Amino acid sequence: MPGVWVAGAGMTKIGKRGESLPDLMAEAAHAALAAAALEAPDFIVVATMNPEEFLGDGNFASRVTTHMGFAEVPALRVETATSSGAAAFYTGFAQVAAGLHRRVLVVGGEKMTHLATPRVSELIGRSIDPYERSYGATMPALAGLIARALGAHGIGSREYSQVSVKNHANATQNPYAHHQQAVTLAQVMESRIVADPLRLLHCCPISDGAAAVVLTAAPTPVRIAGIGQGTDTLAVRHRHSLTSFRATQEAAKAAYAMAGFGPERVDFAELHDAFTPFELIALEDTGLVPPGKAGRATLDGDTAMDGRLPINPSGGLKARGHPLAATGIAQIVECVWQLTGGASGRQLDGRVALAHSIGGLATNNWVALLEKQR
Amino acid sequence: MIETIAASRCPRCEAVVAPPAPFCPRHPVAMTPVALPGVGDVVTFTTLHSAPEGFRSPLHIALVELEEGARFVCHGAETKGLKVGATVAIEAIDNVYYFSHLGTLDRARIFWRRTGRAGDRVNAIARSLAKRVWKGRTRADSASNS
Repeated sequence: MPGVWVAGAGMTKIGKRGESLPDLMAEAAHAALAAAALEAPDFIVVATMNPEEFLGDGNFASRVTTHMGFAEVPALRVETATSSGAAAFYTGFAQVAAGLHRRVLVVGGEKMTHLATPRVSELIGRSIDPYERSYGATMPALAGLIARALGAHGIGSREYSQVSVKNHANATQNPYAHHQQAVTLAQVMESRIVADPLRLLHCCPISDGAAAVVLTAAPTPVRIAGIGQGTDTLAVRHRHSLTSFRATQEAAKAAYAMAGFGPERVDFAELHDAFTPFELIALEDTGLVPPGKAGRATLDGDTAMDGRLPINPSGGLKARGHPLAATGIAQIVECVWQLTGGASGRQLDGRVALAHSIGGLATNNWVALLEKQR
Repeated sequence: MIETIAASRCPRCEAVVAPPAPFCPRHPVAMTPVALPGVGDVVTFTTLHSAPEGFRSPLHIALVELEEGARFVCHGAETKGLKVGATVAIEAIDNVYYFSHLGTLDRARIFWRRTGRAGDRVNAIARSLAKRVWKGRTRADSASNS
């Protein structure tokens, strides 16, 4: 398969933004194109999870490409719930790998903060199985069910509270992050209960923002070494396991197979911590730590910025923020910046990065491996 | 008698799902209807303190494993004292399923169910008691109820 490379990356500051979503996506896209020294791409992949209901806008690929000055560039929109950004990245990768286009812009974004929290929660919750939804299941509720099940797996509140502390600490050095302030373990463990045993500071915020990358067939310093997708049942009640996600395991397996190397080569990772227990599950599902060791590794500081395997240097979904379809691409942006020396204030020294994105309640997940070229 | 819960079985992988589905989630084959007794073990549970529109907070939700491995989502009046692995009864009230902690009477009910029809009268008493308790706790109206 021909190589696919990342030529440029850009994103907006994540947070409560006053601009329209097309404005935010244009800002990210133009930044990525500028970084790639490219005026216009051959093809555009657009990711938004639900602009129909968040904004009342449809036909969003044309909406956003026309807005940013690319009305005559072919474009399509990709959606896999909260992993839509990663799905768009995959689609762009496939376009270049297949030789259909040489320079593809991938741009994702979401705008939600103009709506009341219960409304946002309800709209995001529409990605849940309708029967489970009819019992009031929201994303936090299902995450609460999973967090409790982790208790029998040796992971408790202390372990996933430490994930919040770590990721907030990381975000203090990221000017693009939604929440750039540190939190203490006590603050996390005493924050209000959302879905018992999950508390407010175990949950990502509602954020606006956009992120973009330019993929090319011509070599650059960052190669996409592997990319994989994994899926599972929409209904959480039909899962074989609640303490691991098949969708992540299969995505990781496929990504490692394509890359021709395993987790031992990964130097740092961006993992999908929409709820902080998910970072611990992802650590094990991607093989970055052995089964049953994620809690210990986190408490021991292995996954901190100065640990042997830094996780979520950006602050993760927890602190960088989670503008849904922007997130999967924002993770890639962070990895690219880290690999190319562009993460000032939080710069790591690594050659291989892993990005992991969860769609829905782990129904459609993605793992990507990026490698810095010698 | 114990509440019966409609479910379905995959003829290919034998997986049982509740409520019944036309197709197995993992195989493109039609499922066969089965009925399961409304008793199971709590797999996990949560109390949601910011319930979505149409529901009252706090909202208690449990995932209960029925016979043959089917897992069932249901409501409850309380999760205080509930433990993963606890055996609970499931009752339907207005087509909405609720779990209840099994008291002595409920345990007796299960025992009698296993030992034959002699227990039916006791079961009926237990059932009516359970319903009386639940009546005061009807769920807020929700357009999404099915």
